[in-house]
Parts: sequence; structure tokens; C-alpha cells
Amino acid sequence: MKSGKFTGALRGVLVLALAAVLFAPALAHAVTKITFWHAMSGKRLPAVERIVNGFNEAHPDIQVEAQFMGSYKEVLAKTIAAVKAGNPPHLAQVYEVGLQTMLDSGVIVPVHTLFEEGEVDFGDVVGPILDYYSVDGKLYSMPFNSSTAILYYNKDLFKKAGLDPNRPPTTYKELEEMGKKLVESGVVPNAFSTGWPSWVFEQAHAYHNQFFANNENGRKGRATEVLFNGPFGVKYLETMSRMAKEKVYIYGGREYSPNKAFLAQQIAMLIQSTSSVGSIEAATEGKFEVGTTFLPRFEGYPRGNSVIGGATLWVLKGHSDEEYKAVKEFLKWIIRPEVTAQWHKDTGYFPATNSSLKLLMDEGWFSNHPNHLTAFLQVLSGVKTPMSQGVRLGNFVEIRNIVQTALENCFAGKTDPKTALDEAAQEANRVLKEYSELYK
Amino acid sequence: MESRFPNKILPYLLVMPSLLVVLVFLIVPSIQSFYLSLFRVSPFGNVLIFKGLQNFIHLFQDPAYLNSLIRSFFFTGFIVVVGLSISLGLAVLANLPLAGVDIYRTALIWPFALSPAVAGTIWALLVDPSTGPITYFVQLATGLRLNWMTNGDLALLIVTVAATWKMLGYNVIFFLAGLQNVPKELLEAAHMDGAGSFRRFWNVTFPLLSPTTFFLFIMNSLYGFFEVFGLIDVMTKGGPGKATDLLVYKLYEDGFVNFRTGYASAQSIVLFVFVAILTILQFRFAGKKVFYR
Repeated sequence: MKSGKFTGALRGVLVLALAAVLFAPALAHAVTKITFWHAMSGKRLPAVERIVNGFNEAHPDIQVEAQFMGSYKEVLAKTIAAVKAGNPPHLAQVYEVGLQTMLDSGVIVPVHTLFEEGEVDFGDVVGPILDYYSVDGKLYSMPFNSSTAILYYNKDLFKKAGLDPNRPPTTYKELEEMGKKLVESGVVPNAFSTGWPSWVFEQAHAYHNQFFANNENGRKGRATEVLFNGPFGVKYLETMSRMAKEKVYIYGGREYSPNKAFLAQQIAMLIQSTSSVGSIEAATEGKFEVGTTFLPRFEGYPRGNSVIGGATLWVLKGHSDEEYKAVKEFLKWIIRPEVTAQWHKDTGYFPATNSSLKLLMDEGWFSNHPNHLTAFLQVLSGVKTPMSQGVRLGNFVEIRNIVQTALENCFAGKTDPKTALDEAAQEANRVLKEYSELYK
Repeated sequence: MESRFPNKILPYLLVMPSLLVVLVFLIVPSIQSFYLSLFRVSPFGNVLIFKGLQNFIHLFQDPAYLNSLIRSFFFTGFIVVVGLSISLGLAVLANLPLAGVDIYRTALIWPFALSPAVAGTIWALLVDPSTGPITYFVQLATGLRLNWMTNGDLALLIVTVAATWKMLGYNVIFFLAGLQNVPKELLEAAHMDGAGSFRRFWNVTFPLLSPTTFFLFIMNSLYGFFEVFGLIDVMTKGGPGKATDLLVYKLYEDGFVNFRTGYASAQSIVLFVFVAILTILQFRFAGKKVFYR
């Protein structure tokens, strides 16, 4: 009897197992899988997962798999490798300097072609972001994490140096004077630094309505020549070099590395991406009060706008209609007001749509977190001109590195600003020439 | 041979796996690199323009590449000469009958056990221009404010020192093993003949260590040319300017950041030929001077 029962139980298990084996593929087939490669590390990683999990829960028939693939450059390199191997992800997050590369790649599905007319209200996307990623008024990639540069300053150190903590500099002249005061009063060894120095240099051009490259920054036709070694670029670099000699400015390295000096109160002012708002506020809580304000200006130049940085999501070719339908659902999800608003709260990146902005305002988010608003007001109060819509260059990644090298050589005192920029421009023009030969 | 392998196919079958590995991971990619080095390639690889040897010609006219070449030589030279000297000194000390010598030995090996990312982060924090302890003490002692973020030569020196430090553990282990294999009777005989400790070291121990030294010489050269990517990427990313843009890092940047696949392939071919020549030279000349017991 005992053995009979056992056999019965075993049989039952076997039947179940067989059923599972037979039906599992069918069940799995009903779920459409979407691969999404991104570069969001640190605090941004759980924020991405929050979005994806929310989407997957609401869509039982779709499974979005968000995979962290390393830094921006690594995501792009891996995407290229995957495309070559014939196995691209559905969505890849690519940084703004990869724009022209992606447009020319021949491997993307422009976002505007995915949607029917009127299916998504792209007019809701914040103007400067929409402009940056549009060609002839049509959106090519999905806005996701956009940022711009703002000025952070240490209110406590301002007070110590006898400066008004509620009057940060508005011009570079004021910045220099206040910087001198901060240094001379012995409050800090140096007063000021910049994150992403090469990007801030690009920002300065757009903010003062200056072209960075010809053919309207490569938006009217392919750019063949850079213009950053013109009078404005030289003036910018001369000012920075002078401030470096006066110990007002200190070069603090690339990307986010100068944040350390700001957090350690070794400098009192920092130009950095708004995406650092969250981490800077968290790190300084209880230590000192952080203020933020618009980027400083040079007097006598026309107004433009600060330019968009960060990354967008690109849809890649080579998948089924079914899968593109799922991708579409996901893209609609990420620009939902509440999803976008949460993303902003978690990271400090722009809420990319006007409706999410309204939501945040209505909640009173900005009155409790005024530093989260600064970048937004700056971008929205700027002037829309061809100079401020963003630069589109072939192999912009390399050109940005070339400019970076020029800035570093200049701050090291190896070359004067004019020569450094002229040499960089020559290199950059060579890059543009080689690039355009590829896509005649 | 025939007696050991009655079957003629068997020996080939046995070496097949390793041959396959070499073929798939070494020979095929090398041929591919050589092929690509003759082209200008679009980022996604879908446009190829034949350029002949232009990539190679451009390479040797490119001041950035020549700069990278010179700096790599300095870097590797420093690692080999200074690194091996210090390692030998430390190994000799760790070979003395001291109290707690095991602790010292373990501590000496630690740097090698760290991953390049961790080692790089530690050094970057130590010499941070605004918050680093080394920067602070140097300023206290000399009044100089070190900023390796703008001073390229300083940056190269710091990266070189970090790389040398990282390799110390490896070198010390081998030297220590070598030292312990030096026969006691030879040293005692030399002692009896009235040789001082320096002469004993220089005329007995050092020649007996030559196989170890030669092996480490090659390993350190290869390390200097090939394995420093992680450290550079974490510490300087090739900057400031192009001060720490060593050959492997430049290759990576051109190949996988700037997507100049053809140009990067040409660099990899040059690097390959270059290291092949170096290895042959080492075996030809240095190999003769090595004293194998």
C-alpha cells in the first residue's frame, strides 16, 4: 500500500512536471521581453529599477529587463558590439555627445516613427530637451535623463568671508571679486572649480549665444569646422586662466571629481551638473548650507540658454512588431507625469515634461527643495536661438576630449589660451573631416 | 616518440584544445585587426573605406602617439629599474631572521592582492589636490601645493609610483623564493674567505638570483606595457592633457571611446610587433647573461 501511494504521488509530480515543461514555453511566449541597457549607477540605479518594476507590474504581458552596462561610453561601446553581433538591445541609453553618431548609424528606429500622429503629446516635453533631440522638428530619441550646469555655493563660507550668503555672483566679474575675497580672507585656499570642464566650456558658448561649430552647430548641415577658438572661447579661457593664477579658480579634474573639494569646504563655489543636487544636498546636510544659482555671465554678450546634457533612450532596429509595441508602451510609461516626477525627486535630473513639472509644483516639492528648481528655471528662462539648441558634431566624444586636453594644458601653464584652443580646433577639424568622409 | 604514440592522430588530438584556444582568441583576432588597420571604419562598422597603410603613416606622424610612446617607455623603465631594485631590497630585509618576519612578509605581498581599481582609488585619495593626506603633509613640509590634476609630469610620476607599488608584492615573493634557494654553504664559504656582506651579496647571491631577476624583468616589462589599463582608468583617464595617455590606454580610447576602429587596430598591430621584438631581444641578450645553476 505504502509503495502504491508513493507511486501515485510520484505519478502526480511527474504529470505536473510534464505539464510545466509543455506549457512553460507557451506561457513565456505570451510575455514580451524588452532589453534596456543603461548607465545609471549609484543612487540612480535603484531609481531606474523603480520605474521598470512599476511598469512590469502594470503590464503582466511585458517584461522590461533593465541592465546596467557601465559608464555612458561603455554602454555605447557595448551597444555597437551587440549591433555588430546581430543581437542589439531594444533600448540603449546614449549620452548627448553620441547624438550624431546615433543619427548616422543606420541602426536606429526614430522615436517619432514608432507613434501614430497624436498618440503621444510630445509638446508636453520641455522645450529645450525636445529641441536638442529633434531633427527637422521630429523627435529621434526618447528624453530620459536631462540635466544642465548650475552654480553651487557654500553659504556658510560666504558668511565667514563677509559676503552676503543670499547674493551669489551673477557675472564672472563678480565671481572673480568674491573669489578673491574668499581666498584673501583665508576662508578657503581656492574659491571656485568646475565639474565636466569641457562641457561647461560648451555651456558657456550656448549661454552667451555663441556658435561652437559652423553650419549652426551642425544642425543645418554637417559641421565641418569648430568655432570654439573664436574671440569668445579665448576670452572664457583667458578669464579662467587668470583666475587660476589668482588662486580663485582651481582645476579639480574631470566629470564629478571636483565635488570632493566642494564637500570638503576647500572651495566655496562649483559649477556642476544639476544631477549632483541630490548627492550634494545629502552629503552636506547638517554640515553647511548649500545655495544654487544660475550660471555666471560675461557682461556685454547676448543672452542664449544653457544647454542640455545627460542622455536619452534610443530604439534599435532588428526586432519584431510585437516587441516594438511593448517598447512603445514602456516609452509612454516613462513620460507619465508621476513617473517622471519621481525620477526627478530620486536623481535631480529634469522632470522632462511640463505636466510632471506641474505635478511637482502642486505637491509643493520645490518649496521644500528650492535647489532642485534652479536648473529648471535657468533653462526655461533662457532664449531659444540656434546657438543654444545643442551642438551636433560627428564624433563629438573625441572632440570633447580634445577640448579637455586643451583646457588642462592651459591650466597647467603649458600653453596660452589662444594657442591651446587653436591647436585643439585644428585637431577637432581633422576629426570632423575624417567623420564626414565616412558618410558622404 | 613513435613508441609512446602508436596512433598518429592522437598527439594532434591532444594538442587540439590549446591550439583551438590560440586560434580563436589570438590568431583570428590578430588577422582581423590587421585587416581593419587598412581601413577607416564607421562607429557601427557598416561603412569601410580602404586606406592602405595610411593609418600606420598617420600613427608615426601623430604627436599624441609619439608622446604616448615616450611616456610608456619612461613608465615601464621606472617600473623595471626602480621597482625591481626596491623589491630586491625589501626581499633581502624580509629574508633576515627577524622577530615577526612572517607579518612583514604578508604585509609586503598585500599590494599585489589588491585589484587595480582599489589600488587606483587608494592612491587617488592619498594625493587628492584638496583633500589628500599626502598633499597635506607635503604642503606642511615644503609649502608646495601638489596638484596632479593640472601638473601632468607629477600625474605621470604618481601613476608610475602607484603601478610600481602595486607590483612590489609580486616581485618580493619571487625574490624571496630565490633568496631562500641560495645555498647556505656558498655564503658560508665566501664568509670564510673574508668576503663582507656586500661582496657576499654582489658576488654570490645576486648572480644566483639572475634567473629570478630575468623572469621578473620580462614580467614587469609586460606589466608596464599591457596591464596598467585599470590603474590609469581609475586614476587619471589619461590626463591631465595627455600626460598619462600610455599606449594601451590610448588604444582603448581610440578604439572604444572615439570609435576610430581602423586607427586603433593599427596601434594594436604596432604594439604587438613592438613587444615581440622586445621579448626576442631580451631572450637574445639578457638571456645569455643569466646564470642557471
